[in-house]
Amino acid sequence: MIRMHVTKDMSIRLTLACVAVFAVFLLAADLFAFRWIGWYVAWRGMRPESVLKMTVTLYAASVFGWVCLWALWRLLKNIKAERVFDGENVRLLRAISWCCAFAALIFCVSGVYYPPFFFAGAAAAFMMLIVRVVKNVFQQAIEMKSELDLTI
Amino acid sequence: MKIIVNIDVMMAKRKISAGELAERIGITPANLSILKNGKAKAIRFSTLMALCRELRCQPGDLLAFQDDPEEES
Repeated sequence: MIRMHVTKDMSIRLTLACVAVFAVFLLAADLFAFRWIGWYVAWRGMRPESVLKMTVTLYAASVFGWVCLWALWRLLKNIKAERVFDGENVRLLRAISWCCAFAALIFCVSGVYYPPFFFAGAAAAFMMLIVRVVKNVFQQAIEMKSELDLTI
Repeated sequence: MKIIVNIDVMMAKRKISAGELAERIGITPANLSILKNGKAKAIRFSTLMALCRELRCQPGDLLAFQDDPEEES
């Protein structure tokens, strides 16, 4: 039992560490994206105006990336504090799903000038779908828990 | 349309305190309070049985159905 508890705690810590690693990647992308995009556009021989378009796309999507990471961090902190079936977690999952939806929209619109963005858009839309299903499961579980808590 | 819980009436008749009843039937005073205040969503048969045993009554003495037509419309 103690071993199981340690494993569960370590798993949450590992996930928190992954979120932190993603935050570092996103920060690096925010700091250097402009330069990387310049190089990429030059390497692919794309039109120079693509630099501005791609920069706008990536920075707009990065805003939702930050909101997602913040919501994931809060969610994991709540789970670590054993507040699993809580209304706040549903709100956080809903925020994540909306962020995925907005990112999907940004990438799909950007796919008009750079088609590979469609794949990123599709991936974000699929992620939104998964998160929404998880959110619905959480919502149902909260209702069931409150019913169980009030069964005397 | 709701179920009215009349535990406090029976408790007054049997002259038993909430703390004592909770201890006798093996639930916490907080849960007994939830039950008395009509905030419970369900009651286990085992709890109902213990209540009837300790209060020397029938389930019908503890629970009553109240029809409220306005609530449904």
